[in-house]
Amino acid sequence: MHSVIRPNAWVALKLPSGATRVIQVTPNTTISLGKYGAFPANLILERPYHLTFELEDKRPDENFSRIRVVPPSELYAEIFADEQSPGCSTPAGEATLPILNGEEYSVVDTESGDIVAQSTLDARQTLTQEQIEELKRDGTNAGKNVIAQLMLSHTALDQKTSFSLAKYKLLKTKKYIRRFQVLPIDVPNFSHWQLEERDANKIMDIRAEMMALVGCWANVHYGGGDVFLDDPHATSEQGQEACPSVQPDLLKGRWLVMDDTCGLLVAALAERMGVLSPPDSDDEDSEETNRVTDKPAAAEKQEKPRGEDEGLSEATKQGSDTEMVDVQETSTKPKADPKPKKQKPRPSDFAIPYSQTNTITVVHGASQPNLSFLNYWGFDYTSPNHPPHPLVSHLMTLSWLQLLKPELDTSYSTPPLTASAETLSSWKPSRRGNFHRKRRRYARIRHIVDSTRAGNFSGMVCASTMDPISIMRHALPLLAGGAPVAIYSPNLEPLSALADCFSVSRRTAWTSGVVADVADKSNEELEHWPGNDEFPLNPTLLLGMSIQTSRVRRWQVLPGRTHPLMTERGGSDGFVFTGWRAKPAEGKVAAKGKFKRKKADDVSAVDSEAAEPADGLKRKIDDVTAADSEAAEAKRRKIADATAVDLEVARAIDAPA
Amino acid sequence: MTSTSPKVSPFLEPGPYTRANSLAILQLSRDNLQPVYLQPLSGDHDGYAEGAVVNTRYGSFPHSTMIGIPWGSQIRASKVDTGSRGRKRKRIAGDEATAGQPETPGSNENDAETESASRPDAASDSKKGLGEATGFIHILPPIPEIWTMSLPHRTQVVYTPDYSYVLHRLRARPGAVIIEAGAGSGSFTHAAARAIYNGYPTRAAKRKGKVISFEYHEQRYHKMKKELSDHGLEGIVHLTHRDVYKDGFLVDGKSPEADAIFLDLPAPWDALRHLSRRKPPQQSSSLSDDDGANNTDQQIKEDDSQWVSALNPKKSAYICTFSPCIEQVTKTVSALRRLGWVDIDMVEIANRKIHTVRDRVGLHLPIDRGVNCSPKDVEEAMAKLTEIEDRFREHSRPKGTGDDMDLADDEPATNGAGAMVDGGDVDGEVVPSTQAWMDGRLVTRGEPEIKTHTSYLVFAILPREWTEEDEAAAAAKYPCGAEVKVVGSIDKVSRKKERREMLEQQGGNRKARRKERDEKLA
Repeated sequence: MHSVIRPNAWVALKLPSGATRVIQVTPNTTISLGKYGAFPANLILERPYHLTFELEDKRPDENFSRIRVVPPSELYAEIFADEQSPGCSTPAGEATLPILNGEEYSVVDTESGDIVAQSTLDARQTLTQEQIEELKRDGTNAGKNVIAQLMLSHTALDQKTSFSLAKYKLLKTKKYIRRFQVLPIDVPNFSHWQLEERDANKIMDIRAEMMALVGCWANVHYGGGDVFLDDPHATSEQGQEACPSVQPDLLKGRWLVMDDTCGLLVAALAERMGVLSPPDSDDEDSEETNRVTDKPAAAEKQEKPRGEDEGLSEATKQGSDTEMVDVQETSTKPKADPKPKKQKPRPSDFAIPYSQTNTITVVHGASQPNLSFLNYWGFDYTSPNHPPHPLVSHLMTLSWLQLLKPELDTSYSTPPLTASAETLSSWKPSRRGNFHRKRRRYARIRHIVDSTRAGNFSGMVCASTMDPISIMRHALPLLAGGAPVAIYSPNLEPLSALADCFSVSRRTAWTSGVVADVADKSNEELEHWPGNDEFPLNPTLLLGMSIQTSRVRRWQVLPGRTHPLMTERGGSDGFVFTGWRAKPAEGKVAAKGKFKRKKADDVSAVDSEAAEPADGLKRKIDDVTAADSEAAEAKRRKIADATAVDLEVARAIDAPA
Repeated sequence: MTSTSPKVSPFLEPGPYTRANSLAILQLSRDNLQPVYLQPLSGDHDGYAEGAVVNTRYGSFPHSTMIGIPWGSQIRASKVDTGSRGRKRKRIAGDEATAGQPETPGSNENDAETESASRPDAASDSKKGLGEATGFIHILPPIPEIWTMSLPHRTQVVYTPDYSYVLHRLRARPGAVIIEAGAGSGSFTHAAARAIYNGYPTRAAKRKGKVISFEYHEQRYHKMKKELSDHGLEGIVHLTHRDVYKDGFLVDGKSPEADAIFLDLPAPWDALRHLSRRKPPQQSSSLSDDDGANNTDQQIKEDDSQWVSALNPKKSAYICTFSPCIEQVTKTVSALRRLGWVDIDMVEIANRKIHTVRDRVGLHLPIDRGVNCSPKDVEEAMAKLTEIEDRFREHSRPKGTGDDMDLADDEPATNGAGAMVDGGDVDGEVVPSTQAWMDGRLVTRGEPEIKTHTSYLVFAILPREWTEEDEAAAAAKYPCGAEVKVVGSIDKVSRKKERREMLEQQGGNRKARRKERDEKLA
């Protein structure tokens, strides 16, 4: 995906201090790294990711620093030296530094012959701040001189243990060495940066391991090749009846998502489904060709984007009405179209731009979804006429109101405008633009709402600040049988409350018919159980629910000094609730477990006997407390109709009884 | 290598319903999962008239009742004659007093009345199963997570918390090619296949995501091979039986162009030399290369040109090794450094499952499993103690004999609900709660046994090769020296300068404008 650094790509620059800078690499700009210096952005364009660069000294005839690639042998020089030293116990520093046994030594400026530092001075660090500043300003050899001289000018170096010496050197290296590494902005890197250096609250403290768990447990993956509904070729006179209806058979590989992480969760899922990055960087062949065509444009200071902007502004000028107009609408003036290769006929207003497969459906609590982080991957949700991006046809959003009470939503319930061709041509372009835009929006929203309400989602992923119980009440019926559910929460309490809704005792009570409201309802009705105080959710709709948390512990691996890191980010741990959507059988289903008492010798004699069903309330233990309760339950249990296969197992358990 | 249509793995697209000849996973109880290949009804099977039957502690389940129903369905047990197959029936037909009605898959309408209908002989009546009154299981689609849970422990299994994180860090996305050495139990293989899947390969040369898997152990290899074909993953996973330490990772002598590597091997450092961009120099002296020591320079050079890297030449390669011991990690990390891998990071993952329970403490509660019949708070304890004290006083009253005893017995009842006697012998009136699921405080606790250590995960990245020519080409394309703007963090001096310039420009304009205006007015 990320083969080289593309012009105008977002990248993360990793600095020696461990800090990350996320910037957009615009051609012909200077990238400043603060105290580590600055370099022209063109020097890293079209270069590979993950290389370590070092800022070189400015050449006399140039006013910028060039950069060079630091080979790994140099990066690891000290560690290699350690490994070679006997016993691997000597840390870095000693091998590279002169031995300073109380000797008097001084650092002499090679040009002027001035003594820069002397070991005989009183202070431990004999270089004054001014001297250090001066050294930094001269800044030769990528800061290595400063470090060496700082080391040399430290009078108590000989009193340091080898470990503290290594630490001292590391500290100074972090501060002065002028190196950096360019990392691609993918979901792991981006979320790490958000979590560690930006606002972790914004992404609900979701750590990489939790994001990975959520993605896996929800079984999010590529959901099949794109399938588009046929364009109905609706004329402007046709109203809502011309809208293509949802075809439930075509809907495949769709995930229902609630995202309060500003779009990070959606990005992570889109990455797993292969729709996060524009296709040109995804597949190699087109990449090559694209690069050839892009080159001049990119070199000439973002010619292309600017051109696009002009196109847009021109379009809005034409449609200088109150509302923004899509470029595509100004069909009378083809020059406003930024894309030269617009040969194929324009789709009609009611053509559905969304794929029927491999899609993400975001349900949001506010009137607009917050997916701002998708900007880092070149997708701007608010853009009315988005340039090609896979998310355009694979990301659908709707509000809870549109999902649950679409008739209350104006944009869904207002029938589309119609007009005859003559009236249409008599209108101003702006009005015509609005007309088409509204019709398109109507078709879009209608499709999103109808297809979402059709249900049969392949899975559900949730990282929301809303109460998971209320979300599940409405989301569970939308899931296909066996579809996994994964709910992330930074706190345990909401999830444990949710898990309690599916507890064994609740389920037992539900199926045994103790609950009056339940008895006379069909499964269909029970799927849409509205919830009451005792049973907030229908407890039979979810299987195998569990809550888990993961924590990654990082280690330092150095010769002779391998141990876990001393400190790590604290805060909320993060928890994931998982389960699978169940389809309960119609009618009363009793579990096996408690059987009518039989004589003990009967149990041993059942070998040749078929089962006799027992009556009364049966219970099956298949829930959270299974681990400890099952053993207890098994003891009480009389196995009446154990099969020949099972009998041995049963006997082993039942031995005390 | 077939095209997509006929057989897509149930792992990748399970479809809405269970299908015959396909994998399904039966959930017997919470953690008891059993994989099953559903077989269509075709005469007797192993003595069963119903065809293939799954017998469990929760009843018998003929496959015919499990085909063509929605995933996640609850399946009732069927009446299956398990005992007498293959031998003469000992039982008289009348024994089966309460056989159910035939259960039609998908529609279970009449099951509520199962008890009423009585049939003389289940087996001869229908080849389909008959509904049992009790017992059920659920049928789940094969998802790598469920599959992993249902795995028998063949070798060490890479569990979900580990493989999910590994795949996340390895950037295993649709379209990626991932090498896996040590296929082992196959849990990682399945998860990786799901992650990189973006369609089955077709004849069109477009590269599709692939898992290149290697297994050294021959029996396991054959087992895996069969499993992969059963699961319809053959087009996605390429399994090879090979010693990767010795023979490397090429597929038919060609580079798989891998983007990511996962090594679950006892000595990953021995395999690493096959995973560099160029032939690593120390290889000539290593054991496996027989003629290495005698090579002349030219031979080495020739070798170099023939040597094919297994990695994708256009991208950074991501690696992860999975080793349980710290010594393995030290060696691996050292080897990685020498081979030029960067961003080396070692982590371990601790995963915890959390159980929720109702913590039921109190004197009011009925005696039940998990109920702690001790006072729930000081007030309750006080009430109880007072009551005992009262009773004691009653008893120790000197004159009291028979009558007093009766009085004492009556007392708790008259005391009302506040003072409760030990739960067992009181009447129904003092047990207010029939809703055990609402009682007590909701608490969470860890699972009884936790996995404290699975393995150490070492991650590293190998940047793509960057030659002088590449550099020259890029430099020619993007010459520098014409910078117009500074991005990123700017130091104070230059920021001030920029600001000053901007202000000056604006100020100048303003002045110019004013001048213009003045001139006009004049």
